[in-house]
Amino acid sequence: MNTIVVGQLQRQFQDYIVSLYQQGYLDNQFTELRKLQDEGSPDFVAEVVSLFFDDCAKLINDMSTSLERPDHVDFKQVDSGVHQLKGSSSSVGARRVKSVCIAFKECCDVQNREGCLRCLQQVDYEYKMLKTKLQDLFNLEQQILQAGGTIPQVSMN
Amino acid sequence: MTMTIEQEIEVLDQFPIGMRVLAVDDDQTCLRILQTLLHRCQYHVTTTNQAQTALEMLRENKNKFDLVISDVDMPDMDGFKLLELVGLEMDLPVIMLSAHSDPKYVMKGVKHGACDYLLKPVRIEELKNIWQHVVRKSKLKKNKSSVSNGTGNSDKANNNRKRKEQYEEEEEEERGNENDDPTAQKKPRVLWTHELHNKFLAAVDHLGVEKAVPKKILDLMNVDKLTRENVASHLQKFRVALKKVSDEANQQANRVAIDSHLMQMTSHKGVGGFYHHRAIPVGSGQFHGGATMMRHYPSNRNLGRVNSLAGGMFQPVSSSFPRNHNDGGNILQGLPLPPLEELQINKAYQSFNSQQNSLMVAPNNLLLLEGHPQSSSPSLNQGFSPHFEINNNKRLEHWSNTVLSTNMPQRNVHSKPDTLEWTTFCDSASPLVNPNLDTSSTSFCRNTDFGSSNAAQTDFFHPLQMNQQHASNWGPMTEAQLFRNCDSKEGLHMASDAGSLDDIVNSLMTQEQSPTDFSEGGWVMV
Repeated sequence: MNTIVVGQLQRQFQDYIVSLYQQGYLDNQFTELRKLQDEGSPDFVAEVVSLFFDDCAKLINDMSTSLERPDHVDFKQVDSGVHQLKGSSSSVGARRVKSVCIAFKECCDVQNREGCLRCLQQVDYEYKMLKTKLQDLFNLEQQILQAGGTIPQVSMN
Repeated sequence: MTMTIEQEIEVLDQFPIGMRVLAVDDDQTCLRILQTLLHRCQYHVTTTNQAQTALEMLRENKNKFDLVISDVDMPDMDGFKLLELVGLEMDLPVIMLSAHSDPKYVMKGVKHGACDYLLKPVRIEELKNIWQHVVRKSKLKKNKSSVSNGTGNSDKANNNRKRKEQYEEEEEEERGNENDDPTAQKKPRVLWTHELHNKFLAAVDHLGVEKAVPKKILDLMNVDKLTRENVASHLQKFRVALKKVSDEANQQANRVAIDSHLMQMTSHKGVGGFYHHRAIPVGSGQFHGGATMMRHYPSNRNLGRVNSLAGGMFQPVSSSFPRNHNDGGNILQGLPLPPLEELQINKAYQSFNSQQNSLMVAPNNLLLLEGHPQSSSPSLNQGFSPHFEINNNKRLEHWSNTVLSTNMPQRNVHSKPDTLEWTTFCDSASPLVNPNLDTSSTSFCRNTDFGSSNAAQTDFFHPLQMNQQHASNWGPMTEAQLFRNCDSKEGLHMASDAGSLDDIVNSLMTQEQSPTDFSEGGWVMV
């Protein structure tokens, strides 16, 4: 094991994940998820976020359909979708996605189709962005492991 | 995870480890997280993302699970509906899960019988405690004097009879499965917990005591597994209690004498306690109408001391009371309280004996729900205390008005909103709580001669000028009468000699309020 390399990778990892928190992509719930990962379930976090992104894609798609026709918007469906998205994003610690959901819900409550569409677009952007970021993070993790090192536990206060 | 039989048995013995949870959530992300969290708590977890599937699993074998956790918003079935059905058919504890933090959803969950309501994202700390609901529920089931399971409320209109049968059927089954006490086999009774009783009171208050009929009360209460019959019998007891208190109200002065006498026995701030006594009936806080007050009145009589002990709180029970009156609990028996509550009251009583401190924290959770805003019945009506304290600064003059004039357990009180009565009472009663009174009470402390501490008494009564201001609610006795009655020591002595408070009351009741009964000057709050 090349300790220097491992050290570098670990630092890189640490910096990166901290930046994600600081930029608001992630919150404490994500930390909690990481804590749940252990030898018994080494890919727990990756699994969960993967499920989450799948959910996002599906929900966004459904909501998009509901919002499609200006004269016939199923706000109830949209509301249901937003609610679920809010629930799952808060469960994984996807902070930005959750924030958009809050705004999204407000538009839905007042049946503002335009607002909803904007929020929909934004939530789509955010989840994809997060997906990319986390992918990078997991890659770093893999590199560390492959270099024989251990993934640092980062606690954000 | 698969385990050998031995492992399974071992796991079951290590409860809550291995507790079998059924987790339901249509959101796969949340479900996965929940599953892992539950595993981390060492529970045995089964998951499904469909409420219908969950029901089927439960129906297939309800003994397969100890607890159900379910999301509220699910496409195939409303989580509340699932909650109802599980409660109705399997009587398992159900915990609701939701991203909705809106209190009205929480309320809905609670009303539908949820043991708990967790907000997403769920934290592992919260899940670590959920096993308590299983224990609690099974404890309730096994309880001798009552069975908490029953039928659901879903088709109230039609199914009273059917429900009852079902209830009894389940009851039989239950007994088959567990080691139930044979006495429980008679007629299943509902455990009237604080929460339940409060709902009952709220309903009665809403309808008006005179107009409260079981069916309407049941509807308002909206409690699963509660039958019209349950409500009817509870209502009957309630009405009897009201009447009784109402009758007792006519003997106010006597009671005061007794109380004060009793207070003396304990070298405690009798005044405070005493007053607390008085106050309690009037208004354990949210007790709607006079109903609750009444019911509590007698019990409160004994509880005065604790109030002072716990400082600030209206701790009705005086630890000393039980000491001097072994059957202090008897007083409570005078009230037609639900048996279980009586038991608990007595239990609480004993505890007072031993622990002079925070009564509120006392042994019996059911009774002494500290801070529980609507704790009903025998509990040391925390609801009362805030009011009390608020009025603490009022002058003593007012006290007498209240005590004398407020005919606490009075019929017409029932129909009024309790706050009204309460405030009235409090206003007047506040002086009772006056700590100054407490100190002076030591001089009153007495066993032997209440009468001899005239000076003290005088001091004590001094501020208590019985004005006629609040005479309105008073019963037969006028304030003047009461005053006169506070004349002699005789009554007190008699009181002290009496075995139980009940005896005292009874004996006092039989004698007219003769002028000789009370010490001069007013209440013998010694």
